[in-house]
Amino acid sequence: MELIKGVGITKHFGGVKALSGVDFKVEQGTIVGLIGPNGAGKTTLFNIVAGAFPPTSGTVHFEGVDITGLPAYKICRRGVARTFQVTRPFGEMSCVENVAVGVVNHQPDASRAVWTQRAVECLRIVGLEGFESTEARHLNVVQKKKLEIARALATGPKLLMLDEVLGGLNSQEIQDAITFIRNLRDQLGLTILWIEHVMGAIMQATEKVIVLDQGRILMNGSPEEVVNDSRVIHAYLGD
Amino acid sequence: MTISLGESRLKSTPKILLCLAGLAVFALLPWTMGVYNQHVLIVCLFYTMMAASWNLLAGYTGQVSFGHAAFAGIGAYVSGILVVKAGLNPWGGVVIGTLCAAAFGFLVGLLCLRMGGIYLSLTTLGFSEILHIVINNEYEITRGTMGLQVPGLIENYSKIAYFYIFLAGALITLAVVYRLVHSNAGLNFRAVQNDERAASALGVDVVRTRLLAFTVSSALAGMAGALYGHYMLLITPHLPSLDQQFLVLSMTVIGGLGSFVGPVIGAFSLEILSEYIRAWGEYHVLVFGLVALFVARFAPKGIVGIYKAWRGKYRAATA
Repeated sequence: MELIKGVGITKHFGGVKALSGVDFKVEQGTIVGLIGPNGAGKTTLFNIVAGAFPPTSGTVHFEGVDITGLPAYKICRRGVARTFQVTRPFGEMSCVENVAVGVVNHQPDASRAVWTQRAVECLRIVGLEGFESTEARHLNVVQKKKLEIARALATGPKLLMLDEVLGGLNSQEIQDAITFIRNLRDQLGLTILWIEHVMGAIMQATEKVIVLDQGRILMNGSPEEVVNDSRVIHAYLGD
Repeated sequence: MTISLGESRLKSTPKILLCLAGLAVFALLPWTMGVYNQHVLIVCLFYTMMAASWNLLAGYTGQVSFGHAAFAGIGAYVSGILVVKAGLNPWGGVVIGTLCAAAFGFLVGLLCLRMGGIYLSLTTLGFSEILHIVINNEYEITRGTMGLQVPGLIENYSKIAYFYIFLAGALITLAVVYRLVHSNAGLNFRAVQNDERAASALGVDVVRTRLLAFTVSSALAGMAGALYGHYMLLITPHLPSLDQQFLVLSMTVIGGLGSFVGPVIGAFSLEILSEYIRAWGEYHVLVFGLVALFVARFAPKGIVGIYKAWRGKYRAATA
């Protein structure tokens, strides 16, 4: 079953055509990579799916329901969580409070103890135990990325959208992160749509890859098909 | 290690008892002093309401509004005019004045939804000045700079009775603020202040959160203003003036922006101090403004922040 489906998504910023007629879908329980050269429109597509801004035309369906143009908070409450490529922690708030923001809007009627407990649990899942009371601005880049994922998990998502979470990690950390992301799918049952520039990670972790180039779908298929496709190599490397 | 969301709450019984005992002593204070000191205490409580409610908006959601004194003015004038011209009971006037301030707060909040920082400050400043000019010029209704004479809340004027009315008002204000910032709304307030886009991506309804803060804060200012008008028995355009606005701002910033007790400390210390330097005339607002500027630059969390830093060092040294 397809969890999310976009049809004919087009986005113009003034005269710039960021996306032109993009069709895509993500099956329930899969990890799908979204790749493409810089400026291909990957983050724009994320922003439209997550409701940061509406598309110029086209529709997005989540669990069969049209969510096109809904505000971000409503889409989040339906079960779509996203991380930001450039992390956006609430710097003046502690890590547990950062995560609790996601929890309280997911379970507004729960008690304070439940909120705290769930927030602590999310921090533990991403490996940030011990940093509960640390203000988020004191974290390093990798920890901030972990915090982004913990906050996203706290909203109780069905679909998790990751925007370049591996940037700035060394090779051992990348291996750990791949295992971690696969575990999110295998153990928490999440569906994952993942923008990434680290091709090795996409090859190892995903079942399907969507390639965007200049605002259009160039192709989609298994990771092996994609990396061996001459159009993809051409889009990345030029003539 | 205890992990807590937001500021520490009153959890332990000894702390609650200590607070109640302090409150009881404070409530008996006016019986020991003369009329002038009673008046100072009442004005302190008025500024506590003003500073605590402005802090809800500026300190917790980062919407630095310069229209807070204007909302107090709306509360005072609506109540005063209804009582004088329509013969309404003053208590009913206070209620309607509060509701009107809430309605105006909602509308101004709506106008400022897409604004932040300096733009919001300038828009609310403009609103405040427009209101000020209207009040000055609508002489038939407001009696302009002469001031509107209004009846009191109680038949037999007594400072002690007013003290308890203002104490109740201040406690209601503080209870509303405490309740809000310690609920899920409090987390949403601070999330919106830190980063609106990230907040909405986590399920925070940013529009609702900002309007809630604006409306509640304005309503509380309206209540404070209405009570103040019926205490002074004369409402002048000085109440909704920028002088008042900057005094409230200074109190909150010096006491501790974004902390629960900061505005209370700021309101009492600055009001009492300004009684001592009354001979300087209006220059005291200038002095407070300069002090607030220094505090904002060098100790952005005010007196409360300085105390917390000192306590942290003390604990680290003794541990």
